Amino acid sequence: MTIKKYLDFRLLGLVGSILLIISQFLSWFSGLSLLTIYILTTSVAIEDSFLYLFPLICGIICLVGNLVVIYNIEYKINSVIINFIGLGFFLIFIIEIIPRELLYIPYAEIGFYFSIVGSILIFFDILNILLTKHE
Amino acid sequence: MSTGTIYHHLDTLSSLIEQQDDKKYYLTELGLHAYTSLIDNKDTIITPEFSKKEFNSPILKGLMHLTPKTYINYENKRTYSVMIFSILIALIGSIFCGLNGLFPFFLFFAESLTIFTTSEIIIQFLLAFLFIGNILLYFLINEGLSRVIYKKKENTLKFLASFAIIFFPLDIYLVLRFILTSTGSLDFSYIRVLDNVLMILFQVWSLWLLTYNLSINKKLKIENSLIVSLLVHYGGFSIILLISI
Repeated sequence: MTIKKYLDFRLLGLVGSILLIISQFLSWFSGLSLLTIYILTTSVAIEDSFLYLFPLICGIICLVGNLVVIYNIEYKINSVIINFIGLGFFLIFIIEIIPRELLYIPYAEIGFYFSIVGSILIFFDILNILLTKHE
Repeated sequence: MSTGTIYHHLDTLSSLIEQQDDKKYYLTELGLHAYTSLIDNKDTIITPEFSKKEFNSPILKGLMHLTPKTYINYENKRTYSVMIFSILIALIGSIFCGLNGLFPFFLFFAESLTIFTTSEIIIQFLLAFLFIGNILLYFLINEGLSRVIYKKKENTLKFLASFAIIFFPLDIYLVLRFILTSTGSLDFSYIRVLDNVLMILFQVWSLWLLTYNLSINKKLKIENSLIVSLLVHYGGFSIILLISI
Protein backbone atom coordinates (compact mmCIF):
# COMPACT_ATOMS: atom_id res chain seq x y z
CA MET A 1 0.00 0.00 0.00
CA THR A 2 1.38 3.38 -1.06
CA ILE A 3 0.06 5.13 2.03
CA LYS A 4 2.30 2.92 4.19
CA LYS A 5 5.36 4.37 2.47
CA TYR A 6 4.54 7.84 3.72
CA LEU A 7 2.78 7.17 7.00
CA ASP A 8 3.98 5.15 9.97
CA PHE A 9 0.84 3.71 11.55
CA ARG A 10 2.64 3.53 14.89
CA LEU A 11 1.91 7.25 15.08
CA LEU A 12 -1.76 6.37 15.68
CA GLY A 13 -0.96 5.48 19.27
CA LEU A 14 1.15 8.58 19.71
CA VAL A 15 -1.70 10.79 18.48
CA GLY A 16 -4.18 8.84 20.66
CA SER A 17 -2.06 9.28 23.78
CA ILE A 18 -1.60 13.00 23.11
CA LEU A 19 -5.35 13.42 22.57
CA LEU A 20 -5.99 11.71 25.91
CA ILE A 21 -3.50 13.96 27.70
CA ILE A 22 -4.92 17.09 26.06
CA SER A 23 -8.48 16.02 26.92
CA GLN A 24 -7.60 16.39 30.61
CA PHE A 25 -7.22 20.13 30.10
CA LEU A 26 -10.21 20.70 27.79
CA SER A 27 -13.76 21.27 28.93
CA TRP A 28 -15.88 18.17 29.63
CA PHE A 29 -19.03 19.34 31.40
CA SER A 30 -20.36 22.87 31.95
CA GLY A 31 -17.15 24.36 30.63
CA LEU A 32 -15.08 22.61 33.31
CA SER A 33 -12.00 20.60 32.47
CA LEU A 34 -11.27 17.30 34.22
CA LEU A 35 -8.40 18.95 36.04
CA THR A 36 -10.74 21.63 37.37
CA ILE A 37 -13.29 18.99 38.37
CA TYR A 38 -10.51 17.08 40.16
CA ILE A 39 -9.44 20.21 42.08
CA LEU A 40 -13.06 21.03 42.96
CA THR A 41 -13.89 17.51 44.14
CA THR A 42 -10.66 17.27 46.13
CA SER A 43 -11.34 20.60 47.85
CA VAL A 44 -14.77 19.43 49.03
CA ALA A 45 -13.34 15.98 49.89
CA ILE A 46 -15.62 14.05 47.57
CA GLU A 47 -14.64 10.39 47.31
CA ASP A 48 -12.97 9.07 44.18
CA SER A 49 -11.77 12.48 43.01
CA PHE A 50 -8.59 10.73 41.87
CA LEU A 51 -10.63 9.04 39.16
CA TYR A 52 -10.70 12.34 37.28
CA LEU A 53 -6.95 12.07 36.78
CA PHE A 54 -7.15 8.62 35.20
CA PRO A 55 -7.39 9.81 31.54
CA LEU A 56 -4.17 11.80 32.10
CA ILE A 57 -2.46 8.78 33.70
CA CYS A 58 -3.70 6.59 30.83
CA GLY A 59 -2.39 9.05 28.25
CA ILE A 60 1.05 9.22 29.88
CA ILE A 61 1.39 5.42 30.24
CA CYS A 62 0.26 4.80 26.65
CA LEU A 63 2.63 7.52 25.44
CA VAL A 64 5.51 5.63 27.09
CA GLY A 65 4.26 2.39 25.48
CA ASN A 66 4.17 4.00 22.06
CA LEU A 67 7.57 5.63 22.40
CA VAL A 68 8.97 2.19 23.24
CA VAL A 69 7.66 0.68 20.00
CA ILE A 70 8.62 3.72 17.91
CA TYR A 71 12.14 3.47 19.34
CA ASN A 72 12.39 -0.20 18.40
CA ILE A 73 9.69 -2.41 16.84
CA GLU A 74 11.33 -5.45 18.49
CA TYR A 75 9.79 -4.31 21.78
CA LYS A 76 6.25 -4.70 20.51
CA ILE A 77 5.06 -7.17 23.17
CA ASN A 78 6.38 -4.86 25.89
CA SER A 79 4.64 -1.94 24.25
CA VAL A 80 1.33 -3.81 24.07
CA ILE A 81 1.52 -4.75 27.75
CA ILE A 82 2.26 -1.14 28.74
CA ASN A 83 -0.70 -0.04 26.59
CA PHE A 84 -2.91 -2.64 28.32
CA ILE A 85 -2.03 -1.09 31.69
CA GLY A 86 -2.66 2.41 30.35
CA LEU A 87 -6.01 1.55 28.80
CA GLY A 88 -6.96 -0.21 32.05
CA PHE A 89 -6.99 3.20 33.76
CA PHE A 90 -9.23 4.63 31.06
CA LEU A 91 -11.62 1.67 31.26
CA ILE A 92 -11.98 2.06 35.04
CA PHE A 93 -12.57 5.79 34.56
CA ILE A 94 -15.25 5.21 31.93
CA ILE A 95 -16.99 2.44 33.91
CA GLU A 96 -17.11 4.61 37.04
CA ILE A 97 -17.85 7.96 35.43
CA ILE A 98 -20.30 7.22 32.61
CA PRO A 99 -23.10 5.80 34.82
CA ARG A 100 -22.51 8.64 37.32
CA GLU A 101 -22.67 11.40 34.70
CA LEU A 102 -25.11 9.65 32.39
CA LEU A 103 -27.63 12.49 32.35
CA TYR A 104 -24.95 14.96 31.29
CA ILE A 105 -23.41 12.84 28.50
CA PRO A 106 -25.55 14.46 25.75
CA TYR A 107 -24.13 17.82 26.86
CA ALA A 108 -20.53 16.56 27.03
CA GLU A 109 -18.01 18.93 25.51
CA ILE A 110 -14.88 18.56 23.39
CA GLY A 111 -12.69 16.98 26.11
CA PHE A 112 -14.97 13.94 26.34
CA TYR A 113 -14.82 13.35 22.59
CA PHE A 114 -11.05 13.85 22.52
CA SER A 115 -10.63 11.14 25.14
CA ILE A 116 -12.94 8.68 23.35
CA VAL A 117 -11.19 9.23 20.00
CA GLY A 118 -7.80 8.93 21.74
CA SER A 119 -8.66 5.60 23.35
CA ILE A 120 -10.01 4.22 20.06
CA LEU A 121 -6.80 5.27 18.28
CA ILE A 122 -4.73 3.50 20.95
CA PHE A 123 -6.86 0.35 20.52
CA PHE A 124 -6.22 0.33 16.76
CA ASP A 125 -2.56 1.09 17.36
CA ILE A 126 -2.25 -2.04 19.53
CA LEU A 127 -3.85 -4.11 16.76
CA ASN A 128 -1.53 -2.51 14.21
CA ILE A 129 1.56 -3.23 16.34
CA LEU A 130 0.53 -6.87 16.75
CA LEU A 131 -0.17 -7.30 13.04
CA THR A 132 3.10 -5.67 11.99
CA LYS A 133 5.71 -8.18 10.90
CA HIS A 134 9.35 -7.32 11.39
CA GLU A 135 12.48 -9.00 10.11
CA MET B 1 31.68 -33.63 10.29
CA SER B 2 32.73 -37.25 10.68
CA THR B 3 30.96 -40.07 8.83
CA GLY B 4 29.89 -41.54 12.16
CA THR B 5 28.13 -38.34 13.16
CA ILE B 6 26.32 -38.17 9.81
CA TYR B 7 25.13 -41.76 10.18
CA HIS B 8 23.97 -40.97 13.70
CA HIS B 9 21.82 -38.07 12.38
CA LEU B 10 20.53 -40.17 9.47
CA ASP B 11 19.57 -42.85 11.97
CA THR B 12 17.67 -40.30 14.06
CA LEU B 13 15.73 -39.23 10.95
CA SER B 14 15.11 -42.83 9.85
CA SER B 15 11.31 -42.50 10.00
CA LEU B 16 11.39 -39.37 7.85
CA ILE B 17 13.97 -40.30 5.18
CA GLU B 18 14.96 -43.45 3.30
CA GLN B 19 17.81 -44.41 0.98
CA GLN B 20 16.71 -45.59 -2.44
CA ASP B 21 18.40 -47.68 -5.14
CA ASP B 22 20.32 -44.70 -6.55
CA LYS B 23 21.95 -44.35 -3.05
CA LYS B 24 20.31 -40.93 -2.58
CA TYR B 25 18.16 -40.08 0.44
CA TYR B 26 14.50 -39.17 -0.14
CA LEU B 27 11.66 -38.14 2.16
CA THR B 28 9.36 -40.97 3.25
CA GLU B 29 5.60 -40.48 3.16
CA LEU B 30 5.72 -39.33 6.80
CA GLY B 31 8.69 -37.07 6.04
CA LEU B 32 6.81 -35.50 3.15
CA HIS B 33 3.77 -34.98 5.37
CA ALA B 34 5.92 -33.35 8.06
CA TYR B 35 7.56 -31.09 5.49
CA THR B 36 4.22 -30.05 3.94
CA SER B 37 2.73 -29.43 7.36
CA LEU B 38 5.63 -27.16 8.33
CA ILE B 39 5.41 -25.22 5.07
CA ASP B 40 1.61 -24.84 5.24
CA ASN B 41 1.63 -23.63 8.83
CA LYS B 42 4.72 -21.48 8.66
CA ASP B 43 2.76 -18.35 9.57
CA THR B 44 0.78 -19.80 12.44
CA ILE B 45 3.15 -22.20 14.12
CA ILE B 46 4.31 -20.92 17.46
CA THR B 47 7.71 -19.41 16.91
CA PRO B 48 10.38 -18.46 19.42
CA GLU B 49 8.00 -15.71 20.46
CA PHE B 50 10.19 -12.89 21.43
CA SER B 51 13.38 -11.41 20.16
CA LYS B 52 16.19 -11.95 22.65
CA LYS B 53 16.25 -8.23 23.34
CA GLU B 54 12.54 -8.21 24.15
CA PHE B 55 12.73 -11.34 26.28
CA ASN B 56 15.44 -9.76 28.42
CA SER B 57 13.28 -6.71 29.13
CA PRO B 58 12.22 -6.37 32.78
CA ILE B 59 8.48 -6.45 31.91
CA LEU B 60 8.55 -9.79 30.09
CA LYS B 61 11.07 -11.30 32.48
CA GLY B 62 8.83 -10.30 35.38
CA LEU B 63 5.70 -11.65 33.69
CA MET B 64 7.41 -14.93 32.86
CA HIS B 65 8.40 -15.26 36.53
CA LEU B 66 4.75 -14.77 37.47
CA THR B 67 3.54 -17.38 34.98
CA PRO B 68 2.83 -20.85 36.40
CA LYS B 69 4.39 -22.47 33.33
CA THR B 70 4.29 -26.03 34.63
CA TYR B 71 0.51 -25.81 35.09
CA ILE B 72 -0.18 -24.36 31.63
CA ASN B 73 2.41 -26.18 29.54
CA TYR B 74 1.84 -29.63 31.02
CA GLU B 75 2.13 -33.24 29.89
CA ASN B 76 -0.94 -35.45 29.64
CA LYS B 77 0.02 -37.50 32.69
CA ARG B 78 -0.31 -34.35 34.82
CA THR B 79 -3.79 -33.49 33.58
CA TYR B 80 -5.50 -34.42 36.86
CA SER B 81 -3.23 -32.32 39.05
CA VAL B 82 -3.71 -29.37 36.68
CA MET B 83 -7.48 -29.86 36.79
CA ILE B 84 -7.48 -29.95 40.60
CA PHE B 85 -5.43 -26.74 40.67
CA SER B 86 -7.84 -25.10 38.20
CA ILE B 87 -10.92 -26.16 40.17
CA LEU B 88 -9.33 -24.88 43.36
CA ILE B 89 -8.72 -21.49 41.75
CA ALA B 90 -12.30 -21.37 40.46
CA LEU B 91 -13.70 -22.26 43.90
CA ILE B 92 -11.57 -19.74 45.81
CA GLY B 93 -12.50 -17.06 43.26
CA SER B 94 -16.20 -17.83 43.51
CA ILE B 95 -16.19 -17.79 47.33
CA PHE B 96 -14.44 -14.42 47.52
CA CYS B 97 -16.50 -13.00 44.65
CA GLY B 98 -19.63 -13.83 46.67
CA LEU B 99 -18.15 -12.47 49.90
CA ASN B 100 -17.16 -9.21 48.20
CA GLY B 101 -20.58 -8.92 46.53
CA LEU B 102 -19.02 -8.21 43.16
CA PHE B 103 -20.61 -8.97 39.80
CA PRO B 104 -18.03 -10.79 37.64
CA PHE B 105 -17.86 -10.21 33.91
CA PHE B 106 -14.86 -11.67 32.09
CA LEU B 107 -11.91 -10.09 33.88
CA PHE B 108 -13.95 -7.21 35.28
CA PHE B 109 -15.77 -6.86 38.57
CA ALA B 110 -18.53 -4.32 38.75
CA GLU B 111 -19.53 -3.04 42.14
CA SER B 112 -22.14 -0.70 40.75
CA LEU B 113 -24.02 -3.64 39.30
CA THR B 114 -24.70 -5.22 42.68
CA ILE B 115 -28.15 -3.75 42.97
CA PHE B 116 -29.06 -6.06 45.83
CA THR B 117 -27.85 -5.88 49.41
CA THR B 118 -24.88 -8.19 49.53
CA SER B 119 -25.66 -9.25 53.07
CA GLU B 120 -28.27 -11.61 51.67
CA ILE B 121 -26.66 -15.01 51.53
CA ILE B 122 -28.65 -16.08 48.46
CA ILE B 123 -27.24 -13.19 46.47
CA GLN B 124 -23.75 -14.12 47.59
CA PHE B 125 -24.32 -17.69 46.40
CA LEU B 126 -25.67 -16.37 43.11
CA LEU B 127 -22.59 -14.20 42.56
CA ALA B 128 -20.36 -17.18 43.41
CA PHE B 129 -22.12 -19.29 40.78
CA LEU B 130 -21.88 -16.40 38.33
CA PHE B 131 -18.10 -16.44 38.82
CA ILE B 132 -17.97 -20.11 37.74
CA GLY B 133 -20.34 -19.40 34.83
CA ASN B 134 -18.19 -16.44 33.87
CA ILE B 135 -15.10 -18.70 33.61
CA LEU B 136 -16.97 -21.09 31.31
CA LEU B 137 -18.37 -18.28 29.16
CA TYR B 138 -14.94 -16.68 28.90
CA PHE B 139 -13.45 -20.02 27.88
CA LEU B 140 -16.11 -20.57 25.21
CA ILE B 141 -15.55 -17.13 23.69
CA ASN B 142 -11.75 -17.57 23.59
CA GLU B 143 -12.05 -21.06 22.15
CA GLY B 144 -14.59 -19.80 19.61
CA LEU B 145 -12.40 -16.90 18.51
CA SER B 146 -9.36 -19.19 18.14
CA ARG B 147 -11.43 -21.50 15.96
CA VAL B 148 -13.12 -18.79 13.89
CA ILE B 149 -10.20 -16.43 13.33
CA TYR B 150 -7.20 -18.77 13.36
CA LYS B 151 -8.82 -22.17 12.58
CA LYS B 152 -7.26 -23.71 15.69
CA LYS B 153 -9.41 -26.62 16.78
CA GLU B 154 -6.84 -28.68 18.69
CA ASN B 155 -6.28 -29.17 22.44
CA THR B 156 -9.73 -27.93 23.50
CA LEU B 157 -9.77 -30.14 26.61
CA LYS B 158 -6.20 -29.29 27.51
CA PHE B 159 -7.06 -25.60 27.16
CA LEU B 160 -10.19 -26.05 29.31
CA ALA B 161 -8.32 -27.99 32.01
CA SER B 162 -5.85 -25.15 32.51
CA PHE B 163 -8.19 -22.28 31.70
CA ALA B 164 -9.19 -21.34 35.26
CA ILE B 165 -5.50 -20.74 36.03
CA ILE B 166 -5.76 -17.39 34.26
CA PHE B 167 -8.09 -16.31 37.09
CA PHE B 168 -5.36 -16.91 39.67
CA PRO B 169 -4.34 -13.20 39.79
CA LEU B 170 -7.99 -12.19 40.15
CA ASP B 171 -8.30 -14.56 43.13
CA ILE B 172 -5.46 -12.68 44.79
CA TYR B 173 -7.21 -9.39 43.99
CA LEU B 174 -10.50 -10.65 45.46
CA VAL B 175 -8.79 -11.81 48.66
CA LEU B 176 -7.00 -8.45 49.01
CA ARG B 177 -10.23 -6.59 48.39
CA PHE B 178 -12.03 -8.70 50.98
CA ILE B 179 -9.34 -7.81 53.52
CA LEU B 180 -9.66 -4.11 52.63
CA THR B 181 -13.45 -4.25 52.89
CA SER B 182 -13.57 -6.17 56.16
CA THR B 183 -11.05 -3.83 57.81
CA GLY B 184 -13.05 -0.81 56.62
CA SER B 185 -10.04 0.55 54.69
CA LEU B 186 -12.04 0.77 51.47
CA ASP B 187 -13.94 3.75 52.89
CA PHE B 188 -10.83 5.91 52.43
CA SER B 189 -10.58 7.49 48.98
CA TYR B 190 -6.86 6.76 48.65
CA ILE B 191 -7.45 3.09 49.35
CA ARG B 192 -10.20 3.07 46.72
CA VAL B 193 -7.70 4.42 44.20
CA LEU B 194 -5.24 1.73 45.29
CA ASP B 195 -8.02 -0.83 44.83
CA ASN B 196 -8.59 0.39 41.26
CA VAL B 197 -4.88 0.30 40.47
CA LEU B 198 -4.60 -3.21 41.91
CA MET B 199 -7.51 -4.38 39.77
CA ILE B 200 -5.84 -2.99 36.63
CA LEU B 201 -2.51 -4.66 37.42
CA PHE B 202 -4.08 -8.03 38.26
CA GLN B 203 -6.23 -7.81 35.10
CA VAL B 204 -3.10 -7.29 32.99
CA TRP B 205 -1.46 -10.28 34.72
CA SER B 206 -4.55 -12.38 33.94
CA LEU B 207 -4.51 -11.17 30.34
CA TRP B 208 -0.89 -12.28 30.09
CA LEU B 209 -1.75 -15.74 31.47
CA LEU B 210 -4.57 -15.98 28.92
CA THR B 211 -2.16 -15.00 26.14
CA TYR B 212 0.40 -17.57 27.31
CA ASN B 213 -2.26 -20.27 27.63
CA LEU B 214 -3.56 -19.55 24.12
CA SER B 215 -0.08 -19.66 22.63
CA ILE B 216 0.83 -22.92 24.38
CA ASN B 217 -2.39 -24.89 24.17
CA LYS B 218 -3.97 -23.48 21.01
CA LYS B 219 -0.57 -23.22 19.28
CA LEU B 220 -1.10 -19.58 18.40
CA LYS B 221 1.72 -17.15 17.84
CA ILE B 222 2.11 -14.80 20.79
CA GLU B 223 0.97 -11.82 18.68
CA ASN B 224 -2.19 -13.66 17.62
CA SER B 225 -2.88 -14.72 21.22
CA LEU B 226 -2.59 -11.09 22.27
CA ILE B 227 -5.07 -10.09 19.54
CA VAL B 228 -7.61 -12.65 20.83
CA SER B 229 -7.07 -11.47 24.44
CA LEU B 230 -7.41 -7.85 23.36
CA LEU B 231 -10.62 -8.43 21.40
CA VAL B 232 -12.27 -10.41 24.20
CA HIS B 233 -11.17 -8.00 26.93
CA TYR B 234 -12.34 -4.84 25.20
CA GLY B 235 -15.42 -6.57 23.81
CA GLY B 236 -16.26 -7.45 27.42
CA PHE B 237 -15.62 -3.88 28.47
CA SER B 238 -18.00 -2.54 25.83
CA ILE B 239 -20.73 -4.92 27.02
CA ILE B 240 -20.25 -4.04 30.69
CA LEU B 241 -20.36 -0.37 29.77
CA LEU B 242 -23.64 -0.81 27.90
CA ILE B 243 -25.10 -2.78 30.83
CA SER B 244 -24.04 -0.16 33.35
CA ILE B 245 -25.57 2.60 31.21
